[in-house]
Amino acid sequence: MKDLLRLRTSLKEEIEIILNAQCKMEAEASQKYLAMASWLDRNGFAKSAEYLYAQAEEERQHFLKIFKYITEVGGTAITPIVGEVPQEYPTFKSVFEAALQSEIAVTNAINKIVAKCREVNDYATEDFMMWYVTEQREEEKNARRALELFDLIDSESPTGKFVLDKEIAKIGEAENE
Amino acid sequence: MYKKENHIHELYTTPKGSVHQCDLTDKIYLTFKDSVLAFKIQDFLMFRRKVHAVDIHEMIFNLSDKYDFEVIESQQYQFSLKLTLCDIIQLRELLDGARFTIEMYSMLHEVLGDFEIA
Ligand SMILES: [Fe+2]
Ligand SMILES: [Fe+2]
Repeated sequence: MKDLLRLRTSLKEEIEIILNAQCKMEAEASQKYLAMASWLDRNGFAKSAEYLYAQAEEERQHFLKIFKYITEVGGTAITPIVGEVPQEYPTFKSVFEAALQSEIAVTNAINKIVAKCREVNDYATEDFMMWYVTEQREEEKNARRALELFDLIDSESPTGKFVLDKEIAKIGEAENE
Repeated sequence: MYKKENHIHELYTTPKGSVHQCDLTDKIYLTFKDSVLAFKIQDFLMFRRKVHAVDIHEMIFNLSDKYDFEVIESQQYQFSLKLTLCDIIQLRELLDGARFTIEMYSMLHEVLGDFEIA
């Protein structure tokens, strides 16, 4: 009897399901950043808005990369349904608190996938996911740096918000160098 | 000796239906109620997930008529199944059994390499 499953795909169904779930999470992250960028933009934080627009694009790439991987190894990639994301934020700072929270949640999800890959001996997917492990280290570092700037710069001082907006935008620029 | 149906393998059978694998066409054949459906393996597994995604809790407790049946369709395979709560439960059992066999054989291949099942 032929092993039709293996002939078709190297992906175990449980891995296929968690990869699709991760697609959804990355797509959601993209939407969240876009909503944050919009909030920043309409409240005058034009420079940090640009930074988060770029983040939204990046998350879209993260999503696509997994999506294509699933089909590459013979699985079925499903376009995720993304629900409502927050459109309002109480303060400038709270935007970046939410961003860090979201990145931590992504890191945890990525780690779980790697653990699952090891459990079922899927070393190809583990290798693929290691890119995300490295990426999340960077993403968390950047998100923390933004919050650190709120500690360093008094946002209630006369030009505090203006300076913060500029400095946060530089986090993104440093990454592209 | 060549047996006529050497290439057809039974994966799972219940009183309500059966699932077979055909090694000539590489298809999975599902016989349930009055229909026979042939799937590629990945579509068979997707079909199973669809059947599992049906909210049977709604079907039991929601009294509105539209919850008496669940319609599962596929344009690619040109079928439309109108399923009652009982059908869904029976179909789940059948599909789960077949998937178990598929995965077990795959695991055996992984562990034992190529082997023939008499
Ligand atoms: Fe990401
Ligand atoms: Fe991210």
